[in-house]
Amino acid sequence: MMQATTFERAPMIAITALRVLVGWHFLYEGLAKLTAPSWTAAGYLKQAKGPLAESFRWLATRPDMLATADLMTMWGLTIVGACLILGLFTRLASLAGIGFILLFYLAAPPLIGYFYAIPSEGSYLIVNKNLVEAAALVVILLTGSGRFAGLDRIVHGLISRRPRLAAA
Amino acid sequence: MRADAPDLDGGIGIAEPRERGDLWRFSHEAMHTVFEVYASHPDERYAAQAAQAAFALVDRLEGDLSRFRSNSDITRVNQLTAGESARVGEAALECLLIARHLYDVTDGAFDVAIGTGLPSLEIDADDFLIRATAGGVRVDLGGIGKGYAVDLMAELLEEWGVERAFVHGGFSSAVALETPAACDGWPLTLSDPREPSRVFSRLSMRQTALSASGVRKGDHILDPRTRTPVRGRLAAWVALPRPGTAASGHEGFRLAPAAVADGLTTAFMLLGVDRIAALCARSPGLEAWILPDGVSACAADLLHFNGRATPGDDDGGRGRQAK
Amino acid sequence: MADEDDKRNSRVPAVSGAPPKLGRRDLLMGLSTVPALGLFGYAWNRQQQYRRGREAAAAATPAAAAGLQEINVALLGAGAQGQVLMEAMLRIPGLRFRAVCDIWTEYNLRRVVNTLKRFKQEPNGYADYREMLDKEKELDAVIVATPDFWHARHATDALKAGKHVYCEKEMSNTLEGARSMVLAQRETGKLLQIGHQRRSNPRYIHCYQKLLGEAKLLGRIVTVNGQWNRAVAPDLGAPDRYAIPEATLKQYGFKDMHQFRNWRWYKGLGGGPIVDLGSHQIDIYNWFLGAPPSGVMASGGLLYYDPKTHEWHDTVMVMYDYDTPVGPAKAYYQTQTTNGSQGYYESFMGDQGTLLISESELNYAGQLYRDPNAPAWDEWIQKGYVSAPKEQEAKEQTGSGAIADVRESVAPDQHTVPVSLRDPYHQPHLQNFFDTIRGKATLNCPAEIGYESAVSVLKVNEAIEAKSRLSFKPEDFKV
Repeated sequence: MMQATTFERAPMIAITALRVLVGWHFLYEGLAKLTAPSWTAAGYLKQAKGPLAESFRWLATRPDMLATADLMTMWGLTIVGACLILGLFTRLASLAGIGFILLFYLAAPPLIGYFYAIPSEGSYLIVNKNLVEAAALVVILLTGSGRFAGLDRIVHGLISRRPRLAAA
Repeated sequence: MRADAPDLDGGIGIAEPRERGDLWRFSHEAMHTVFEVYASHPDERYAAQAAQAAFALVDRLEGDLSRFRSNSDITRVNQLTAGESARVGEAALECLLIARHLYDVTDGAFDVAIGTGLPSLEIDADDFLIRATAGGVRVDLGGIGKGYAVDLMAELLEEWGVERAFVHGGFSSAVALETPAACDGWPLTLSDPREPSRVFSRLSMRQTALSASGVRKGDHILDPRTRTPVRGRLAAWVALPRPGTAASGHEGFRLAPAAVADGLTTAFMLLGVDRIAALCARSPGLEAWILPDGVSACAADLLHFNGRATPGDDDGGRGRQAK
Repeated sequence: MADEDDKRNSRVPAVSGAPPKLGRRDLLMGLSTVPALGLFGYAWNRQQQYRRGREAAAAATPAAAAGLQEINVALLGAGAQGQVLMEAMLRIPGLRFRAVCDIWTEYNLRRVVNTLKRFKQEPNGYADYREMLDKEKELDAVIVATPDFWHARHATDALKAGKHVYCEKEMSNTLEGARSMVLAQRETGKLLQIGHQRRSNPRYIHCYQKLLGEAKLLGRIVTVNGQWNRAVAPDLGAPDRYAIPEATLKQYGFKDMHQFRNWRWYKGLGGGPIVDLGSHQIDIYNWFLGAPPSGVMASGGLLYYDPKTHEWHDTVMVMYDYDTPVGPAKAYYQTQTTNGSQGYYESFMGDQGTLLISESELNYAGQLYRDPNAPAWDEWIQKGYVSAPKEQEAKEQTGSGAIADVRESVAPDQHTVPVSLRDPYHQPHLQNFFDTIRGKATLNCPAEIGYESAVSVLKVNEAIEAKSRLSFKPEDFKV
């Protein structure tokens, strides 16, 4: 079990703010898909590029698997977002968030040679906003901000009441 | 884009193909120009029917997109006053999405509204609605309509199984599909729009969209950003690879390479050389040729950009050129 | 932080069994980010309200404001014409596509269903129209755009299933078929609109009501001329990979794929160009002249196309006699499919003026010519019924005071019809159909009127065979 934070207060507040912002973003993305009439990842999957493009496109052709993927994405994003904002099960949520973002990144990696020829806004070279957000989640994962300012603190407090768990 | 004269056709040529028993050529007038389908297919009658279906498609598109038709989608958009919205069909929506995207990417050098306020049109892709936040916007899709038509014609021919084909509209928007058997590419030429017999460069192309823009000697182009006439370049060409069949466009809308190429050639008549080089550099696969003004207009003056850092000589690294 | 550790350590009970208390600081810090969720909820709400407001504004057409009841529609026939009608209907608010039916399931049906899905409709796809009528419980109207020889069956079955029907022209390829449709409409009391879309075209309505009806600008119409010229075209084909199985084709009355695609040229399925094209314009003749024809003479032949694949006439010339309310008139109509110059138009020639009009505003904007002997049109120009005349050049006098050459008449003033159609050609007629379903209008081309036109048009092929003048009796036009 990870040690509680030993960082200074100010950085922890900053990381908590970062956690809330990322959580907000995830929550919005998840809710927007949940409330949009029949959202599906199909279009997004069909235009996948990069090394995993084939798998993504294949997924789009299997309606049963696609439905599961859609459900997992919509609810996953929502739950991860809510948890991050609340600071509940932060590490789990961060891991899941990193997982989602890596999938999205791999579906459209801004690598030279994969990028389609039509010019578009901004220029990305390997690093795009997805990757930056994933890195933010890594920071959140490693610094236990939920335990600092989040429901995790209460949960941890409740759990640590029991002597044998606290000793683990 | 020009003040009143019609777009000058031409700029792309096709070297006379050797006598082939299975190469057919079909023509059709539409959109103030002539569209043609060159098809390599063992069954001439089937190829003719496929070409005819493609031409019928062009006619339908003209009905939707032409600002000269009183009941086209675009005419209806042009009549919107502030706050009004109009429902449009797929063709108009996709063209406007492409137009808007190119407007952003070229900082307004390509502007289908020619400075009358394209950004004030809200495009609601979900509901196929165009909402005008200000009146007076006048859209003219002449700059990408032919390219879009050619893209859709190419898709239709593929649907019919006529995959070895070359399609063009007025020799200024073209798509090369698969090549005739035993050919590496369709033998195309970049020629002087004013004098088609003067060839600047020879290319061998397959699965590529190619577009050309040019001006008559002494003519001016209207720069949509300043709404003043400027002396542009003499000519510009753009080539884009056709996306694979699995790839589709942003949000399910199609990537229409000939339409995009059309818009880019129009913009490249105005944009600075460094800007063009930058755009090409970060879009691998995008190739451009520029014939600057004030030169004697011969092949050696042709600037070529092909996604590498420096503009330069003609033998660009894509290996698609044959001298 | 040292503070924290101490606090935590202090929570570990010295004696097992006694639960430690969560410090107040812990609770405060623990709940510190919960307000962020509240803020999110608030922002989300505001955004939803804004979006709903925008949607309401966008959908706030006069129709929607009047509490439009949605009409459930099925499209029967998803071919070229079906797709044209669909495009027009997508621009009409208040419609819900419940079903699409076409036997070409792999191509046309799939394409139309996919297009409708992109427009947020969710129609079910059918190959068998009977199955569709049985299974679709929430259907108000059926749009029939199948080949002519199927119109009677499709329309009557749909009417008897309790649906309103919009049926493409020609009403049927046979008189019996057309008659059965009128009878079914009477029997069921449902609406049946025949797809002569010019009857709802605002330009044509303006000409009929204002120019002919009110202003009587043309005086007495004595002759009418009309044509539809179309260029040579190869037969329609189909993508190889989407060929329909022979068994299916035969089940629906088609010999093979070629006949399926080119049914218009085959006897028993269609009526050839005179029915495909002439139908529209001859219907306008009847409308504007105020009477059906009293006689017809026609000549036609297959002059150009391959008789193995074309059974009907590719070139037809027709002469109609009319007993109009204001006197006899003759109308000439031509259709040919070997040359497209001058396209299609109708020209109504009266003793005081001429009206030259076409559905295609681009080619014929609706020109009106005033005969020099006719009274001035100033009143009508002021009312906005016609535009002001274009400047005409004056003819020069010859010699000194010599009378102008009497063989040439002075060029008449040219005016235009000041009404434009901004919508797809079929939209007004479909809108009229749906408005009538809602009780807000009456049909512009109900079954009885469609029947009159069908009789007028179908007789032409008969007249060509007969090689002599055929007469109509007034009873011929009634069912």
